[in-house]
Amino acid sequence: MTMNSIGQSVLGFVSLALAASLALPTSVEGQAQRGSDPEHRLDLTWDRWLDHDEIGERMQLLARTWPEYLSLESIGSSYGGREMWVMTINNPRTGAEMDKAAMMIEANVHGNEIQGAEVILYTIWYLMENYGRVDDVTRLVDERVFYMLPSVNPDGRDYFLDEHGSGARTGHIPVDSDGDGAFDEDGPDDMNGNGVIEQIRKYVPGEGTHRTDPRDPRIMVRVAPDETGDWVLLGSEGIDNDGDGMVNEDPVGGYDPNRNYASDWQPNYIQGGSMNYPFELPEARAINDFQMAKTNIAGFQSFHNSGGMILRGPGAAWQGRYPAADIAVYDEIGEFGERMLPYYDYLVIWQGLYTVHGGSIDWTNDGLGIVSYSNELWNGGQYFNSPLLQEQGRDQDQPISGQYGRYFFDDFLEFGDEFVDWTSYDHPQFGQVELGGWKKLSGRVNPRFMSMELFHRNMAFTLYHADMMPLMSMGDATVERVDGDVYRVRVDITNERVIPTITVRAQENNVVRPDLLMVDGNVEVIAAGWVADKNRPGPTQLIDQAELDRILVRSGHPGRTTRTIEYLVRGTGDFTVTYSALKGGTVSTTVRVR
Amino acid sequence: MRIDVVRGACLCAAALLFSSGAQAQSTSYQDFDGITRELRSLVNGSPHASMRSLASSHEGREIWLVEIGNPAGTPLDQRPGVLVVGNLEGDHLIGSHLAVETVRYLLTDPSAARLRDEQVVYVVPRLNPDGAEAMFARIKRDRKRNARPFDDDNDGRVDEDPPEDLNGDGLITLMREPDPSGDFIIDPDDPRLMKRADRAAGETGAYTLHVEGTDTDGDGFLNEDGPGGVDLNRNWQHVYPYWERDAGPHMVSEPETRALMDFMVEREHIGAVLAFGHSDNLVGGTDSAGEFDGDQLIQLDAFAAEPNSEIFEVGVFSTGGGGGFFGFGPRVGAGGVPLRGAQPGRDNDPQSGRRPAVVVDAEDRDYFNAVSEAYKEITGIEEVLVNREPEGAFFQMAYFQRGIPAFSTQGWGATDEVDGSTADEKVLAWADSADVDVFADWSPFTHPELGAVEIGGFRPYAATNPPAPSAEGGRQHGQFVVRLAEMLPRVRIVETDVTAHGGGVFTVTAEVENTGFLPTTLQHGVVSRSVDQTLVQIQIDPDRILTGADKSSRVQKLEGSGSRSTFSWVIRGRTGESVEIMVRSEHGGTHTTSARLR
Repeated sequence: MTMNSIGQSVLGFVSLALAASLALPTSVEGQAQRGSDPEHRLDLTWDRWLDHDEIGERMQLLARTWPEYLSLESIGSSYGGREMWVMTINNPRTGAEMDKAAMMIEANVHGNEIQGAEVILYTIWYLMENYGRVDDVTRLVDERVFYMLPSVNPDGRDYFLDEHGSGARTGHIPVDSDGDGAFDEDGPDDMNGNGVIEQIRKYVPGEGTHRTDPRDPRIMVRVAPDETGDWVLLGSEGIDNDGDGMVNEDPVGGYDPNRNYASDWQPNYIQGGSMNYPFELPEARAINDFQMAKTNIAGFQSFHNSGGMILRGPGAAWQGRYPAADIAVYDEIGEFGERMLPYYDYLVIWQGLYTVHGGSIDWTNDGLGIVSYSNELWNGGQYFNSPLLQEQGRDQDQPISGQYGRYFFDDFLEFGDEFVDWTSYDHPQFGQVELGGWKKLSGRVNPRFMSMELFHRNMAFTLYHADMMPLMSMGDATVERVDGDVYRVRVDITNERVIPTITVRAQENNVVRPDLLMVDGNVEVIAAGWVADKNRPGPTQLIDQAELDRILVRSGHPGRTTRTIEYLVRGTGDFTVTYSALKGGTVSTTVRVR
Repeated sequence: MRIDVVRGACLCAAALLFSSGAQAQSTSYQDFDGITRELRSLVNGSPHASMRSLASSHEGREIWLVEIGNPAGTPLDQRPGVLVVGNLEGDHLIGSHLAVETVRYLLTDPSAARLRDEQVVYVVPRLNPDGAEAMFARIKRDRKRNARPFDDDNDGRVDEDPPEDLNGDGLITLMREPDPSGDFIIDPDDPRLMKRADRAAGETGAYTLHVEGTDTDGDGFLNEDGPGGVDLNRNWQHVYPYWERDAGPHMVSEPETRALMDFMVEREHIGAVLAFGHSDNLVGGTDSAGEFDGDQLIQLDAFAAEPNSEIFEVGVFSTGGGGGFFGFGPRVGAGGVPLRGAQPGRDNDPQSGRRPAVVVDAEDRDYFNAVSEAYKEITGIEEVLVNREPEGAFFQMAYFQRGIPAFSTQGWGATDEVDGSTADEKVLAWADSADVDVFADWSPFTHPELGAVEIGGFRPYAATNPPAPSAEGGRQHGQFVVRLAEMLPRVRIVETDVTAHGGGVFTVTAEVENTGFLPTTLQHGVVSRSVDQTLVQIQIDPDRILTGADKSSRVQKLEGSGSRSTFSWVIRGRTGESVEIMVRSEHGGTHTTSARLR
């Protein structure tokens, strides 16, 4: 409150000055009158899904608009030759990129899990529009670095949005899925040319596995094992392209791009779709090269869909539990996120979702020491998001109960735009069949009119995550002369936020350089130790290292903690005490002894 | 046609020109330039070999690949193949030598003619040229690892504390420091060796062992971060030693390993692998539990590594509890709401507990041992002196991940049993009897930090390489590769039969046979789904198949030694028409035949 009123009065003063001297037509005062709804520098719309080219154009537009803070680069090419765009957000006036903790946000590892890209674009735009206007945004941009990668799998994205890849998680390295020596030779086909890959059903009275729902004949219901139905489902729309007698048996790709990372990587027969070795995929490799080089990355989010989850590792039960102190950090941020994201649950991957070996956030946690979450965007519960409607959804007599709800929603809120009614078709292999079903942009992808809330809430969670990354600060030194030119010097060293500079797992695996506590100047360090409690007399914990002017802190600095270092030095003059944490920044103070 | 003749003549001339060089075996270990020259001369002298670089090492040396096969006939990349890899560990020079000699044998020996015509052999003689080059340096030190710059002790400095040749004998050996708090005593049975003091037997420790050198960076540890990064035989996907300092940042992380891996992915017709390295499954064989002999390493080296074992505990400070630091306190979120932790749930994936195989499949053990018997029969090796437990080893990856019969050998050993209960004793017993100088005797030295010490120990490379390569060993390993190639599956359509039913309806029957020794896939290839099923395909429009087998039929596994499988299709056709039938086995070759409808 106090901050707000100060901010307003400052703005008011500036606007008066400007109005007096320049008489601008659109006064800052005018903007302030709009409260939290100022004019935008870039009026972007957020109600369309963007393909790879459109993402690139929007990234370039953002980078051109805010060149002081944004820089755009490609960290590599996908298998299909599409650039992997990364936007770096950094304010150079508050320090060099590598001296600040970084938050990396990526999305769209799976080709059909698209909407995270828009969350990321929205986040870049929101941070820039509000920098200098909203204090918390200004502070975040000043304190942190962001690496934004909207599409990890641009080939899969374009295949999903612009081609036949309705359900395709895969990337586009050709895989011989049917073991006939030919690659990707028989995928789905849009036989009836309506731009939708539909499902195929065939009427086989008394011999099928499915029947139509008596309440809504669009819906196919599987019959009990001891019953027979009148329909069989024959998979996705397509023909036998290679004349081998099978339909759609070797579509594009055929692997899971999020099983190709290097922690708990397992071969295909244990983890389907893992490919031949970790980082075989050019996209996963480019990301890993980037992340290994950017040792300042302390937080990571990988957006997927769907289900409404805030996931953390481990991906498999056999990896055991994370160390208790790491769990405490994950829990605090994850549970905070549950309050920001209605319908989302904070879960461990193997417990709440399913077992994943070689997933990306297992690697960033275990192999890179980065506190990592993966949000599964969109929960079907959000179609009817009030307690009353939720209750109706559980009442069989209601038109929105169970799966009828999705049809109701499509019929009355999307005006039937997402479902293609069954129509007959003469199939070259299956004979007389019907084609129909959901379009690709329903189900796992939220309705477009509900995007803004999804984008903003998920952005808010990632910004909270970013804010909780380690942030080191150093207090003033206290100096006390012991005798002659021998002094006792104490300095408080603080990590203000929740995440430690080095997680316990990172320390166990030795994958993050230790923090360094350094003394530089014309003094000799006789002894150094941690003060147990600076407000009471008591022993210090002496540091038994050979180089006391360069103390290794392998266990890092815990979250929300102040430690006091005590030096016994001999000498005269100024010296600096520096604490350097790759993931928490470098801070120092100058001490004068004489 | 004319061009072919000219080219043939040229090649003959080349063969003559180089024949003296190509025939003579080398009798010493070769550095990178030497092995490159040797390979070039072998390849230039033969119409059945070519050579290219798979990749460059960290220091820019080429990883040579030699392809051996007669280019006439089936394209090389469609033939059953054998892959031979040498020098997975930089200090395993004998492996490179044997790989080069295998090339020579396969190109020149008459017994390899059929192999060259029908199969293909790929040889990568030196996977780790940067590591190997260290043997030819002025000061010698066992070095398995490649040249990735690496911060071994994770202190923010790279390669800052290497070992030093203090006594100037050109060797990095060990130091023994008289130390009342040490754990070791001089072995009373052989004063060259050390043993751990058995305090329960009243023995008092008197020595600490170190690697020769000083504490260059003044951190209190000796020689803890020298040159060398990743041990390329610990960088593969099977039983990968996660987070160990010599295993690389992750599986297949190195340019050398990645290039070889990509090559294997591309060449799925490789049906057998022979690796030269520090582990063995050929001399020791595969036991009834599907396991190989384990660790038998030089103990002296392990003793010398002990003083640095606590290096990662320096700088670990307690973060809460009684230590006086205030840590997290009660776990309360913003607004004072108590936190409850990630929601418990059940493991909802029935496959989640499934673990990868770690022993050779019961159905594959006899095949492994048959190969092992052949190896011992040809080489006469009965005992291996030094042996390393494979973790992240190349040959293990080839079997456990790709279902390929895969073997590893040191490539040399003793032809009779050697006395001794440790590798140290065995190496000394063998060396003493063979009059080989493997040990630098302990001699006094005044160390700048430790004071009076003695310097000595096994000479670098001496325990893991014979003093000089023997002509016999090279020839034997060439013979073994020929034998191994003969064992590969060999799949053909041996009979076709056509019955006419009238009205343009015919039954076509094909009999597929595997005349090789190995099955079309090992059982683990089936379990791991890594070897394609053998595909039998009738090359007609599927609409013409009235009943019977599918157009594309598959056999999961066809045993060797003449096992057969029969396929029948009832089809529509024209009398006199010829119908093609194809069989394709990833490791057993592709064969097409045709049947005339009549």
